[in-house]
Amino acid sequence: MSRGARAARVLLACVSPALLVLGVPFANRIEPRVFGLPFLLAWILFGVLMAPVTLLAIYRLEGRQKA
Amino acid sequence: MSPPFVALGIVALVVGGTVAFALASVKRLATDPHEYVVAGRSFGAFFLWLLLAGEIYTAFTFLGAAGWAYSFGAASFYILAYGAIGYVIGYFFLPAIWKVGHARNLLTAADYFRDRYGSRKLGVTIGTLQFFMLIPYVTLQLTGLQILLTIAGYDAYNATAGVALAFLLMAVFVFTAGMRGLAWASIAKDALILLAVLFAGLVIPAHFFGSVPAMFDRIVAHRPQSLVLPTTWTNHSLIWYVSTVLLTGIGFFTGPQNMNAILTSRSGDALRRNAIWMPVYGLILLFVFFAGFAALLVIPGMKPGEADQSFVLVVQRYYPPWVLGFVAAAGVLGALVPSAALLLAGASTFAKNVLADGFGFVKGDREQTTAMRLSVIALAALALLLWLVYKKTLVDLLLFYYNGITQFMPGLVFALVWKRVSKYAVAAGLAAGLLTVVTIFVEHADPTPYGINIGLLALAVNVAVVATVATIWPRRDAAPEIP
Repeated sequence: MSRGARAARVLLACVSPALLVLGVPFANRIEPRVFGLPFLLAWILFGVLMAPVTLLAIYRLEGRQKA
Repeated sequence: MSPPFVALGIVALVVGGTVAFALASVKRLATDPHEYVVAGRSFGAFFLWLLLAGEIYTAFTFLGAAGWAYSFGAASFYILAYGAIGYVIGYFFLPAIWKVGHARNLLTAADYFRDRYGSRKLGVTIGTLQFFMLIPYVTLQLTGLQILLTIAGYDAYNATAGVALAFLLMAVFVFTAGMRGLAWASIAKDALILLAVLFAGLVIPAHFFGSVPAMFDRIVAHRPQSLVLPTTWTNHSLIWYVSTVLLTGIGFFTGPQNMNAILTSRSGDALRRNAIWMPVYGLILLFVFFAGFAALLVIPGMKPGEADQSFVLVVQRYYPPWVLGFVAAAGVLGALVPSAALLLAGASTFAKNVLADGFGFVKGDREQTTAMRLSVIALAALALLLWLVYKKTLVDLLLFYYNGITQFMPGLVFALVWKRVSKYAVAAGLAAGLLTVVTIFVEHADPTPYGINIGLLALAVNVAVVATVATIWPRRDAAPEIP
């Protein structure tokens, strides 16, 4: 795997944990509400949804490297 | 027909039907331990998903998550968050572990330690520790069962006999069908839980408040503090959330029952694809929170311990008995199927790593499978006995399970990435980590000093000790190569 692809893989893997751990102190509020949900819950939901998105991107990246 | 008869009747039919369906799906009885414990390493992505989901989302997750939303508000959101972190780590970690297990023909987590660190004694020690850590976790599922059966019986019966009966049925089921039967039973369990959770999280808020957003309007107006994390240095605060999400995310796959599930996989790729999509399944927890918040508005004033029953109580009071029957049945399967996985993990570890490796009692494959089967029954009886005698205090022991089980993580990971780490380094780190957990647990009334999760503190101590020992006294021999 090239150096660029390796770095991209690490960065992508950090997105969801960063949102869910480091981001939460900054998202710890009720307003603005998102689709009726309090902001904190919506933020955590977004962080969780980013996990499959980023992992899928990593999976594709690895597949292309192997091919 | 009386309401308890209808509700409990549905529970009995669903549990009986699930066991019958799973037994019918297993074609022949395993005599080989690899077939019995890891289903001959034959599972593709679908069965693997059922097993992993089955072990992670238990009745305790559902009752507990709703109860937490009710009692502690936003602190409950950690249950949603840590799974995603667990899967991101798992995407890289699971295929690597699987590769070792496949190449070296391993069965249990303790096997992995024995093989990678070249020490039978370490394997026996880890196996013994994990066996004892599993017991309170099984016991906890029994408490969940009791709550559900009591509510489904409209408080008219003492549920103890029902709990014992259901649990022993499950033990006989695992005794017979092993891992393959477990995967089939998970199909019924996951389908029913999905239905029950969607009902609880969407229908209940719509019924009482018009919609989910309208329900949150009410909470914002009356109890806004329950929608954010307090910024104090206390339990269930922001610092607690951060440390707990980290610990539980890291420890997501470190239980011995998770190792069995990983090893059932046909390939590393099936595990990778599972890690990608599992967080989406975890989103059903969102509906569990909705149910918990709805219960908070509908029947306020329950204490933290009782709140675990909150949303099932709402169903009992405001919906017909057959609805209660199906919701309770989903919960009962949610307790029984994971207990079955725990029984299998505990029994295989005990028979393989303690009886066979430790004392040399069991020889040959056929004898080992029989020993595992008998251990299933023994472990079930032990857990049931403990539950009947101690019920309450054992829930406290769960803290020891979660914090303790994560202490195996450094040994699992370092075997993959750092050749200098010896069996002594791993054992020293594990001892230091567990000692930290026990010391804080015994010395302090408060299990979370300054709101920080003690498991995370213990893990830091553990890693520091492993790294120090490995730096000063590097390992001299090498683990067998993985092609």
